[in-house]
Amino acid sequence: MEDDDRTKYLFLSFLQARVGSSLVSHLGNLAPEVVLRTSVAELAGRAKISEKASRAFEELQRSFDPVRMQDRLAAKGIVALTPVDEAYPGALRSIPDPPPTLFVDGKVPEAASVAVVGSRKASATGIETARALGLALSERGVCVVSGLALGVDAAAHEGAVEAGGLTVGVLGCGIDVVYPRRNRDLFRSVRRHGALISEYYLGEAPLAWRFPARNRIIAGLAGTVVVVEAPEQSGALITARHALDAGRDVWAVPGPPGVRECRGSNGLLADGAGVLWDIPEFVDAVAQENRVPLAGGISGGAQPLPAGLEDTEAAVLSGVGFEPRAVDAVAKKSGVEMPEVLTALALLELKGFVSRDGVGSYVRRAMP
Amino acid sequence: MSVCRARSLSLFGIDALPVEVEVDVSPGLPGFSIVGLPDAAVQEARERVRVAISNSGYKFPTKKVIVNLAPANLRKEGPAFDLPIALGILAASGALPAGGLEDAGVVGELSLDGGLRGIKGALSMAEGARREGLPRLLVPERDAPEAAAIGGVEVYGMRSLREAVEFLGDSAGISPAEPADEDGRPVEADEDFADVAGQRYAKRALEVAAAGGHNVIMSGPPGSGKTMLARRMPGILPPLTMEERIEVTKIHSASGEGHGALVTRRPFRAPHHTVSTSGLAGGGSNPRPGEVSLAHHGVLFLDELPEFSRTALEALRQPLEDGHVTISRVAATLSYPARVTLLCSMNPCPCGYAGDRRRVCRCTVGQIERYQGRISGPLLDRMDLFVDVPRLTRQELREERQGEESRLIRQRVSGARGIQARRQGSPNSALSGRRLREVCALRGDAETLFSRAVDRMGLSGRGHDRVLRVARTVADLSGEDEIAAEHVAEALNYRRSHLIGR
Repeated sequence: MEDDDRTKYLFLSFLQARVGSSLVSHLGNLAPEVVLRTSVAELAGRAKISEKASRAFEELQRSFDPVRMQDRLAAKGIVALTPVDEAYPGALRSIPDPPPTLFVDGKVPEAASVAVVGSRKASATGIETARALGLALSERGVCVVSGLALGVDAAAHEGAVEAGGLTVGVLGCGIDVVYPRRNRDLFRSVRRHGALISEYYLGEAPLAWRFPARNRIIAGLAGTVVVVEAPEQSGALITARHALDAGRDVWAVPGPPGVRECRGSNGLLADGAGVLWDIPEFVDAVAQENRVPLAGGISGGAQPLPAGLEDTEAAVLSGVGFEPRAVDAVAKKSGVEMPEVLTALALLELKGFVSRDGVGSYVRRAMP
Repeated sequence: MSVCRARSLSLFGIDALPVEVEVDVSPGLPGFSIVGLPDAAVQEARERVRVAISNSGYKFPTKKVIVNLAPANLRKEGPAFDLPIALGILAASGALPAGGLEDAGVVGELSLDGGLRGIKGALSMAEGARREGLPRLLVPERDAPEAAAIGGVEVYGMRSLREAVEFLGDSAGISPAEPADEDGRPVEADEDFADVAGQRYAKRALEVAAAGGHNVIMSGPPGSGKTMLARRMPGILPPLTMEERIEVTKIHSASGEGHGALVTRRPFRAPHHTVSTSGLAGGGSNPRPGEVSLAHHGVLFLDELPEFSRTALEALRQPLEDGHVTISRVAATLSYPARVTLLCSMNPCPCGYAGDRRRVCRCTVGQIERYQGRISGPLLDRMDLFVDVPRLTRQELREERQGEESRLIRQRVSGARGIQARRQGSPNSALSGRRLREVCALRGDAETLFSRAVDRMGLSGRGHDRVLRVARTVADLSGEDEIAAEHVAEALNYRRSHLIGR
C-alpha cells in the first residue's frame, strides 16, 4: 500500500515536471491505482485536463518505470522523499502546494532554517550583506536555505560554508544538474555542508518556469525568508509571496531609495516586512534558542592585520560612502593624491572596511 | 652584344636581398621577356620600360631582349625593378657605358614619361646595399632622405631615367642625399594628458603600464574617455632610440606607409574591430606587415575588444609572446618584428552601462557572461593591468583641475625603464618564472600584505605573478630597490573586477 503511494507520488512528480503543478495538486488526493492505471479519457471526466497535459500523461503512463528510476537514484546516492516518507520535511507538508517528490542529495538538516534570497546582479554591498547573514546565521546553528543562483544566493551559501555551518540549496533543475556552471565548486561545498534538493529527477533541464516554482520550496523549507536586494518583478519577490502564502515571516534589507535593484525589497518593507537593519538583532530574533556558537567558525582564517588605521587610510575611508564611488571620486572627496589613494584603498579592502564592486567602484562595508 | 648586369635589391619581409638584373640583347626577332620568378607587377615592367625609354629620348633596341632576375629561386615582386631593367637595356644597347652600373645599386619605379616614382622599403634597400658593400645607391628622389638615414652608403635621389643615365655616365652634378632633418618634426605628440579632465586613476594606471611595458584592458561605459586616454599613451613612452626608429621606419616603409623620412614618434595603431586576421597579424599571398607590426615599439589599441573576431585575436598570441610574427608560405617563411604595448578597451556589459550611476543596465546575467567570455583566456593572461574607467558627470568635469603634462609623466617612465634595463635588460612585463621571483622578492610587511591578499582576494597563480610584476614597476617608478607594502597595495588595484559572482 505504502509502496503504491510512493510510486504514485513519484509518477506525479514526473507529471509535474512536464505540465506544472495545477493538475498534480488535483490528482494528489486520488488513490494510487486510479492515478497510475486509469486512462486519461476517464480522468478527464473528473478533472480539467488540457490537451498537452493529457498527451504528457499518456506518454508517462507508457514509459514510467519506478524500479529502474529508484536504481539510478540509488547509484548516485540520491534519495527520493514523498509525503508518505517519514523523512519528508515537515515544514513542506504545510505549504499550499507541496512537491510530490523531493530528490535529496545529502542530508537535510533538522535545524531551524532561514532562507536568504535576492538579486543575481546585486551590488557589492548586497553580496557582502548576504555573505554576512550566511555567516552569522551559521554561527548560531541556523541552516541557510537559498537557490544556488549567482549573486545573493551564492554569497549566502558561501557565508554558511565559510562558517562551517549548515546550508541547503534548492535547485530549479534536475538534482544532478549543475546550473549555473560558474557555481560548480559551490554546489560541492553545499552538498558537504548540508544538502542539494530538487523536485526534478536526474537530468531535467533548467527551464525558465522551473525557477519560480522551486521558490515555493525555498520559502516552504525556511521558517523565515530574508530578501536582500531585489528589483521589482524578481524571483526573490516570488519567494517572498510564497513565504506569505505559507505563513512564514518575511524580512527585507533596506536599500537606498530610487535604486532599481532595491525597489522590490524596499517595497516589501513598505508593505510591512520585518526591517533587517542590524544583523545581530535579526539573528537574535530568529535564533533565540541557539545560543551556542558553532565550532570551526571564521577564526580559522588568516591572521588579521592590525586594526588601527593610519592617517591616510582614515582620510581615504572618509571619502568612501555607502553608495559605490569610483576611485577618482574617492580621491577628490578625501583630498588624497592618486597613488596614495590606491595604496590606502587596497589596505582598507584587506582590512575589511571597504569592498570593490564589479566595475571597480568602492563602497563602505556594513561591518568591518 | 654581351650581357649587361645591373644590381638591384628586392624586399623580403622588411629586409632587402640582393638581386642581379642581367640583360641580354641579341639579334633575332624583336621581343622582350623577363624571367626569374617575376610576379605580375614585374611582368608589366616590360610595357613601362619600353615606353619610358622611348619617352626619355633613347631608342629601345629592335632586337631580342631577355632580362633575367637572379637568383632565380627568389620570388620578385613590385615595380622597383623598372629602373635597373631600363638601365641594363640601355647599357646593353650601348647608350650607357657598361662600367657605370658596376658599383651602384639601383631601385625605382618608372612612369611612362620616364620619371621615377617612389618605392616601398627604401630604408631596407639602403641597409641591404650597405651590407652588400655597394658604395652607391640610386633611388627615386622622394625616398632619398629616408634611405640616407641608414648611413654608410651614398644615396642619390633621381628624378627621371634620363637623370640616372646622365649621372651614371659622368657622376657629375648631383651630390649624395642628406638624411631628413629629424628636428624638423616635433617629437612631442599633439595629444597631451594635460587635456584629459579627471580620470587620474586611469592616467596613473597608464603611467604604470608605460613604465613596465605592461598590457592594459580598460573597461568602462561608452563616453567615459577610454579612446581619448589610449591615444595619449604613446606620448608618455620614452622617445624612440635611433635603432628603434630605423626598425619602425623599415616596417612602415615596407608596407608602403613611409613618408620619406625616419619615423620619430612611437606608432599608435587602432585597427577597427572588423580587421581580418592577416590585417591584424600580417600575411596575405604577397605578405605585408599587419597592424601589430606597424605598431612595433609603439601602442596597438584594440577598441571594443570583445567585438574582434576570435581568430584574429588568437593570432596576436605569438607576437605578444615572442615580439615578432612569423608568416609561412609555400615559397618562404618570413618574420616581421612586432613588439607592442597592447591597450584594449571594452564595455563592462553588452549595453555598456553596468554599474553606471545614471543609466540602468538592462543586460541579463547570461548576456554579461557571454560578452565577457568572448575574450580568450590566453589573451587575458597577457594582460597585466585591468582598469575601470567610470563616466564623469559634467559637474565633475568642470571641477577638475588641469592634469599633468605628458612630458613630466614621460620623464618618470623613462627613469623606470632605465632601472629595468640596467637590472634585467628587459621591461618588467617580460618577467616570468624564476627571474620574476628573484627580481620581485618580497620581504617583511610586503610579504605579509601579499599573502593576506592572496587569501582574501582569491588570486590565481597567474594573478599572483601579475601583481608581483606590476608592484615591481610601481616600485621602479618611485625609484626604490625593494618592493614595499604600499607598492603591492597599489598593484592590487589593477586586478580584474568581476561583475558577476566572484
